[in-house]
Amino acid sequence: MTKPEIISSLLTRQDTWRGRSRRLPRQTLSTGHQSLDLLLQGGWPAAALTELLPQQMGIGELSLLLPVIREHGSHSHLCLWLDPPYQPYAPALSATGIALNKLLVVRSKNAREWLWAAEQSIRSGALLLAWARPQAPSYADLRKLQLAAADSSSAAFLFSPVKALATPSPVTLRLELESQEVNQLLLSVRKMRGVAAGMQLQLSLGESYKQRTQLTQLPADRHHGYIDISTPRLNN
Amino acid sequence: MPKPNNRANDIWLYLHFPLLPLETLLPQLPREQAAKPIAVIDQYRNTQSVLCCNSQASAWGIEPDLSVSTALALCPELQLLPRQSEQEQQYLQQLALLCYRFSPIITVHSDCGLWLEISGCYKLFKGYSSLLQQLHTRLQAQGITAVNGIGNNPLAAQLVCQTDFETELPSTRQLRQRLLDTDLCHLKASARQQQNFKQLGLKTLRDLLALPRSALSRRFDAALMLYIAQLNNDKPFNAPRFQPANSFHDLIQNPQGIFNKESLLFPMKTLLQNLCHYLMARHCYCQEIKWQFEPLIGEPAQMRIQLSGSQNNWSSLLMLSRLQLERLELPRSVEQIVLFSDQFIEAPQGMVNLDLFGDSSDAQQCNELIDSLNARLGREALSQPVLNQDYLPEQASTLATPGNQAETAFHNRVKAPQPVWLLTEPAPVQIRNQQLHWHQPLSIISGPERLCGNWWQGEQQRDYYLACDSKGARYWLFRETSNRRWFVHGLFS
Repeated sequence: MTKPEIISSLLTRQDTWRGRSRRLPRQTLSTGHQSLDLLLQGGWPAAALTELLPQQMGIGELSLLLPVIREHGSHSHLCLWLDPPYQPYAPALSATGIALNKLLVVRSKNAREWLWAAEQSIRSGALLLAWARPQAPSYADLRKLQLAAADSSSAAFLFSPVKALATPSPVTLRLELESQEVNQLLLSVRKMRGVAAGMQLQLSLGESYKQRTQLTQLPADRHHGYIDISTPRLNN
Repeated sequence: MPKPNNRANDIWLYLHFPLLPLETLLPQLPREQAAKPIAVIDQYRNTQSVLCCNSQASAWGIEPDLSVSTALALCPELQLLPRQSEQEQQYLQQLALLCYRFSPIITVHSDCGLWLEISGCYKLFKGYSSLLQQLHTRLQAQGITAVNGIGNNPLAAQLVCQTDFETELPSTRQLRQRLLDTDLCHLKASARQQQNFKQLGLKTLRDLLALPRSALSRRFDAALMLYIAQLNNDKPFNAPRFQPANSFHDLIQNPQGIFNKESLLFPMKTLLQNLCHYLMARHCYCQEIKWQFEPLIGEPAQMRIQLSGSQNNWSSLLMLSRLQLERLELPRSVEQIVLFSDQFIEAPQGMVNLDLFGDSSDAQQCNELIDSLNARLGREALSQPVLNQDYLPEQASTLATPGNQAETAFHNRVKAPQPVWLLTEPAPVQIRNQQLHWHQPLSIISGPERLCGNWWQGEQQRDYYLACDSKGARYWLFRETSNRRWFVHGLFS
C-alpha cells in the first residue's frame, strides 16, 4: 500500500480523529470564569466526560467546578461525588451556595463498583465528580463513561493523577492543572475535541497571598484559657 | 364499619371460588405433579372425604363428597392433599385485595367466597358488563376458578350463585324472577326444615314467600325467619367490611428447595406483584421492604431494601432486590421466601406537588439513583455532608445517610476562608528548622482564627492558620493553644 492509500484508508474509518474538523460539542456549561469559557469555547462540555489532572491536591482544582455544582444543584438535580480523597467540608460548600442535600458522597470498594456507580450516576442525569482509584480506570472503562455521558447528555468530571497523561484517554476534554503560586492556576489543554491541544491559560481564583509569616513571628498565646478578642490578627 | 345494606337498588355480586382449597396448594407443587389427578380431602367427624379435585381427577369420575376409599378405588394414582384452611383464608384475603380495585365494599365469606357491592362502581367502569368482564379477566390471570351470582342483597346473590361466571347484568325484574324461582333445596336450612318444606308442598322460594309471615314464624325458627327477611330485603344483612391489613406479609413455600439465586427471582416477582396490589389498594408507597430466605434447618438470610418511596411498580422493586441479592450470602437451599413491609407513606416527598409540568421526574430520577446505589453498594457506601450548629469543624460538618433532609439554613459565623476538604482526623505536623512540615515544607500565609468548642468537657482552643506549600496548594492548619502542637485539618481546593 502506498502512502496516500494508507492515509485515505485511515480517513475512511469512522473513528479517525481529524484535528481540523470543527465538530464542537454543541452544549456547554458556563465555568463561571470568562477567560476559561473563552478557552473552552463556551464552557465545560455538557454531554461529555471531562478529565482534570491536577499536579497536586489542594491547588484549586475543585474551586473550578464549584459554580457548575451550584448551578446544577439549584435545579434540584443530584450531584454525586464518587470516591473523593477527603471529606467534603459542609460549611465551606454551604457558604458558596451549594445545596448540601443535593450532594451525595459515594465510596466504592473496588473498580467494578466504581465503574458501575459512575455509569449509573451519569445515566440518571446526575452531575458526576469522580476521583480515579489508585489503579487507574482502563481506556475501555473511560470510553464506556464517555459514551454514557454522550447518551444521557449529562456532564461528568474525572480527577486523575497527572501521571495518567502518559496514557491515552477517550474523554472529550483533558485539562492539566498546575500552580506555582497560591490561587494562581495554570490550565493546559491536553486534549480537546475539535481543537489542537497545547493552549494554556493563567487563571486567578482569588487573592494571592504574597506574605509569609515565620513561626517565630506568630502571636504569643498570652491569655491562655479564655477567648481573647484583642489578639492581634495577621492580615496577609 | 357495617352499613345498612337494605337499599333496594344495591347490586351485590357473590364470587364463589369452588376450587379454592386446591388452587391454594397448586402453586407449591412441582409442575409435573400438578398435571396428575389431584384431590383435596377434608376430615369431617372421623370420615375423610373429597372436598374438590382438578379436571384430570374429574375425568376419572372423582367428585366432591366421595369418600377417600371410593376415590382411590376409582383412580388408584390419585394424589390426596389434606386441606390447609389457614393458607386458604390467607389466599382469600389476597383475592379480596385484588377485588378491592373493583369495589370498595367487600365482605369476605369464609366459605370460599366474597361479596362485592358494585352499584357504586357503575360510572368508574362505564357499565356493569365492563366491570364484570375486567374482574373475570383479572381472576383468570390470577389462576383461580370463580363463579358468580348477582342479587339485590348479599344473601340473594349467594343463593342464585351459578356454575359459571356471568358477565352481563340481568335486569331487576330478571333478578327477582331468578331469586323467586330458586329451588328451596339450595336454601340454607336444616334437614328437618327441608323436610318441612316438602311436607308443605313448597318447591321454590316463590311458594315460601307467598305464605303469610305469621304462619311461617309458627312453623320455623327465628334464624330462618331472619334469613327470609334478609333475602326479601326486609331486614339488612350486616357483615364486617373488608379492610386491607396494616402491614404486608406474604410468603411462598418451596418444599423442594431453591438452590441458586436466579431461580429465586420468579417467586420474588410473584411476591412483589402481590405487594404492589396491596400498595395500590391502600393508595400508599412503601419505604422499606424486608426479604427473608429461610432454609429448612438453620439461620434464615435477611435482606432489607430501603426505598425513597418513588417506586410502586414491581419491576423496579425486583431490580433493586436483585442488586442487593447479589451481595447476600444465602443458605444452601431456600425453602421459604417471606416478604414483609410495614412502613408506608401516603406520598413520598418530591411527589407531593405532582403538577404536570413540574420537574417531579427529576426528583424521581434522584430517588431511583439513590435506591439503586443503596441496593448495589450498601447503605454504608452513601453519605451526605450535613451542616451542624457547632464551632469545632469536625462537628460542624458531618456525614449522614442520605435521606430527605430539610434544607439547612446556613449562617456562616466564620469570615476567614474555609477549606473544601476536611481531614477525618487532624494530621500532626512536624516542625523542622523552624518550618512546618507535612509531606513538604509549609509556610503560613494568614491567620489566626480562634475557634473554641466543647468548653463543657475539657476546653479546646485552636488557632487556625492558612498555609501554603511551594507549589501553591493551600492548607488549613491549627495549633492547639493548650499544648502548642500543630495539625493539618483541611485542604483548600
